Amino acid sequence: MNSRMQMCLCMLAGILSTRPLLAAVPELQLEIRDHLFFPATLEIPANQKVRLLIINNDPTPEEFESYELNREKVVPGNSRTVIFIGPLDPGEYPFFGEFFPKTAQGKVVAK
Amino acid sequence: MFLSTVILVLQEILEAALLISVLLVLSRLLTRNSKEHLTIPLAWLPAAGVCGIAGAWLYAAFTPAISEWFDYVGLEITNAFIQVLILALLALFCFMFSSGNREHRTRMLAGMAPVLLCAMVALGITREVSEIILYMQGVMAVPANVSPVVLGTIMATGIGISSGIVLYYLVLALPVIWGYRVSMLLLALFAGNLASQAVLLLTQADWLPYTPQLWDTSNLIPEYSVTGQLLYALVGYEANPSLLQCLLYLASAILIAFSPLFLLAWKPQHGSEADA
Repeated sequence: MNSRMQMCLCMLAGILSTRPLLAAVPELQLEIRDHLFFPATLEIPANQKVRLLIINNDPTPEEFESYELNREKVVPGNSRTVIFIGPLDPGEYPFFGEFFPKTAQGKVVAK
Repeated sequence: MFLSTVILVLQEILEAALLISVLLVLSRLLTRNSKEHLTIPLAWLPAAGVCGIAGAWLYAAFTPAISEWFDYVGLEITNAFIQVLILALLALFCFMFSSGNREHRTRMLAGMAPVLLCAMVALGITREVSEIILYMQGVMAVPANVSPVVLGTIMATGIGISSGIVLYYLVLALPVIWGYRVSMLLLALFAGNLASQAVLLLTQADWLPYTPQLWDTSNLIPEYSVTGQLLYALVGYEANPSLLQCLLYLASAILIAFSPLFLLAWKPQHGSEADA
C-alpha cells in the first residue's frame, strides 16, 4: 500500500469518525405491535431535537399523530420510518395511532 | 371504529371539497364575466376527479417504497413537493390574468385555465384520498371493522361533499362582485395553508430548521374540535404554528392577494357588478 493511498484512507477514516459528531441528534426507538406502542411512555431530553425511529411490526399501516407535538405521519405495515421532534419544553406530549386510536396511545415526556 | 372513521375521512375530504367549491365558483364567475369574454368549460372537474382518484391509488400503492426515500423521510418530502406544486399552479393561474393584450390573454386563458384548475384539484385529491385508501386497507384487515369503516367513509364523504355544496351556493348567492372577492380571499388563505403545511412537513423531516412556536391556542380552539377542523380546512388554522410556518403562510397569502386576478376582484368598476 503506497503512502498516498494510506493518507487517503486516513482522511476517509477521519471523515467517517467525525460524522456521528456532526449528526449528534439523539435517536429513540418506538415500536408498534398489535396496534400498541412500545414503550408507551418515551422519555426524551428537553430542549433538544430528537430523531424518532418508528418500527411498525404489524402488517397494517398506522398513522403516528400528535396535536401537541404537531406531528402526523403514516407508517406502512412491516416497515420503519423516521420523525424528527423537538426541541421541546419540559412536559408531557400525548400521541396516538390515528388508524387504531382506541389502543395505540402513548406520550413523550421531555425532561 | 365508525366514529373514528368519520372523523379521519372527513378531515381529508373536507379540505379537497372546499377547495373544489371555491375554484368552481371562480370558474363560473369568470365565465359569466362578460368583460373578459372567457369561457372555462366545467369538464376540468370530472377530469380532475378521475386523475385524482387514479393518482391516489398509485400513491397509496407506492407509499411503502416512497416512505423509505431520503433516509425514511420520503413521505414528508413528496407531500411537501405536492403542496408546493399546487401553490405554484395556483399562483400561475392568478398571475395569468395580467399578460399581453386582451385578445391574446383570453385565448391563452381559455386554453390554460381548465388545465391548471384540473391539475390543482387532481393533486389535492391524490394527496387526501391516498391517505383514506391506506387507512381503509389497514383497518379493514380486521373483518369486524369492514362494515363500520365502509359506512363511516360513505357518511364522511357525504358530509364533506355536502359542505362543499353549501359553500358553493353560499358564495354564489352573494352579489357577484362579493362572491368573487370571497373566493379570492379564501384562495389566498388556502395558499397560505399550503405553504405552512409544506414548512411543517419539511421541519418534521429535518430539511428545514426548527423555529420557535409563535402561539398556542389549543385550549381555546383545539385542532381536533369541529370548529378547529372546519377552520383548518377553510383557512389552515393551526393551534401551535412555528415562526417559519407563519412567515411563509403570510408570504404566500400576500403573493395571491397581489396577483392580477385578486386585484381585478377589488376594482370597483369591474365588469360583473353591472349584472349583479
